[in-house]
Amino acid sequence: MSGVKLSNIKKSFGAHDVIKDVSLEIPKGEFGVFVGPSGCGKSTLLRMIAGLEDTSGGRIEIGGRDVTAVEPAKRGVAMVFQSYALYPHLSVADNMGFSLSLARAPRHEREAKVREAARILQLTDHLDKKPSALSGGQRQRVAIGRAIVREPEVFLFDEPLSNLDAELRVQMRLELSRLHKQIGATMIYVTHDQVEAMTLADDIFVLKGGHVMQAGRPLQLYDDPDNRFVAGFIGSPAMNFVEAVVTATDPQGFTAEAMGGVLTARLDGPKPAQGADIVLGVRPEHLVPVETGGLPVTVEVAEELGGNSYVHARSITGADIVFERRGSRDRLEGQSLRIGAAPEHVFAFTPQGERLR
Amino acid sequence: MSMIRNNRRHKLVAYSLILPFVAIFALVFAYPVIEVIRLSFTDAPLIGSGDWVGLDNYKRLLSDRLFYTSLKNNGYFVLLTVVPTTVIALLIALAVNRLSGRMQALALVLFFTPYVLPVSVVTQIWAWMLDFQFGILQPVLEFFTGKPVPVFKNPFWVMPAVAVVTIWWTNGFNVLLFIAGLRNIPEELYEAAKLDGATSRQLFFRVTWPLLWPVTALVLTLQLILQLKIFDQVYLLSEGGPFNSSYVLLLMVYREAFQLNNGGYAAAISLVLFLIIVVVSVLQFQILRIGGRDK
Repeated sequence: MSGVKLSNIKKSFGAHDVIKDVSLEIPKGEFGVFVGPSGCGKSTLLRMIAGLEDTSGGRIEIGGRDVTAVEPAKRGVAMVFQSYALYPHLSVADNMGFSLSLARAPRHEREAKVREAARILQLTDHLDKKPSALSGGQRQRVAIGRAIVREPEVFLFDEPLSNLDAELRVQMRLELSRLHKQIGATMIYVTHDQVEAMTLADDIFVLKGGHVMQAGRPLQLYDDPDNRFVAGFIGSPAMNFVEAVVTATDPQGFTAEAMGGVLTARLDGPKPAQGADIVLGVRPEHLVPVETGGLPVTVEVAEELGGNSYVHARSITGADIVFERRGSRDRLEGQSLRIGAAPEHVFAFTPQGERLR
Repeated sequence: MSMIRNNRRHKLVAYSLILPFVAIFALVFAYPVIEVIRLSFTDAPLIGSGDWVGLDNYKRLLSDRLFYTSLKNNGYFVLLTVVPTTVIALLIALAVNRLSGRMQALALVLFFTPYVLPVSVVTQIWAWMLDFQFGILQPVLEFFTGKPVPVFKNPFWVMPAVAVVTIWWTNGFNVLLFIAGLRNIPEELYEAAKLDGATSRQLFFRVTWPLLWPVTALVLTLQLILQLKIFDQVYLLSEGGPFNSSYVLLLMVYREAFQLNNGGYAAAISLVLFLIIVVVSVLQFQILRIGGRDK
């Protein structure tokens, strides 16, 4: 088992730079997730680790071995594709044992490994079927089984759950998590779904425009984002952002005016100048109705989920503000109220999107 | 009540829509076919009616040596064309598929152009290229055989030469079918196989070939039907000669009907050819399908 280390990886298609100087490391046995909006380069990065794309610069190491110029089959990686990439003319067993049959492994060895993988993935009853006779979730498991049979040092997943329906996705997510604990191999997973990233990852790498915007443990990214992009990308519903002007500063932080109201933010480092433009971010669960201060809003819709509800309100400037309510059964639609947050829960960003701490 | 009326109207509309096709089909296909069958049991000339002779035409056919010669030549021609043209088309398609963008389009146009030409132009081109005295391909033949060969007047060379002309003429269409089939194979299957350590040989035999099999079966069957119907090229290049060594069944039909005025006998031959084509092609397609299922 080995970790994966990328150093100064670059990739260009013609004049178009897709990956711009990415360096990162996933320790062995960890579950790393590349997450980001479409076009951020996350799949390209994964395909470069697999060897399906050349690098335009930089170095890829797997288990301490430089594999930048090594062909895909010899990197010790197995990949699960979004489309599953199952061979329609082969049975489930033959699909899973494909790599071994290419290598002309003895039949009994092949069968034993396929049976073991099928047992782990509960596919034993389906080994003789063709992929076309399986459901989406089962096909996905066959694709994972094909990877397991190869006993790779590193598993690569390219948006493996995006073709499944919502319920199955949640179920497969859990199974993947369980599988990772069971096998203990290094896994790298690409997704555009931040919920998948949060729930599966040991380490998340948030990508945008070919850059790693921030890397870290899921809760670290959630609690302490480096920039507005990560703050907005991680968390559902997304963080609320409010454009504000600094009105006062003190040793603990600053107060800013926005949308006809005021918010106070805690800030340990250098304070912004009075009158400076600033962007404030508050997560929905940290916004609560307040008597005085805060932002005046009018409630438009409340999404009742039973245990909690997400209230969509409009500020006097017309901005959409979402806040969470727990355990309340009051109807809020149409009401005007003020909402605020504790200073330590108000994040401050420069207008360029950099976090102020 | 209105439901039933609606339903009836629905059917009327449907029938009125298919009627023109059924009428034309009956007029230009069903009626002639029935006429040919009827004709084959008479001694009718090409134009006008004849007397009922029962199975006489078929009996005559069974003792006609030219029939056996033609049948054998038809079979020989199928051997010379069907599998070779399929293999060549597959190889060309694999090569063209590696090109991209404009180069691929250009290559496709090049291979498809002969298919657009009328048969008379095709045969004229090849008659010139293989001309005994000034054909530009004669030096090539001379290189291998040591002397110029009058290909269309030589019993050994005539059928292979007609086969080459036919393959050159019709190959573009098969290339097109294979290209379409190749494009239908998702790129990820190749990537997955590469990750699994497949060599390029294994990529072809383990991925491309089995997934292309339905197209291959289609091409083989279409070719079989087409090549059993060989007529124009032989008629234009060798007229069945020399010494009937390129005589084929349709040429025989043509001779009996239009040169010897034996409408009934010609009808019997064409009916036999029709049955051969139906039986052989259905049989072949079934065998290929079963073969495909095992893959």
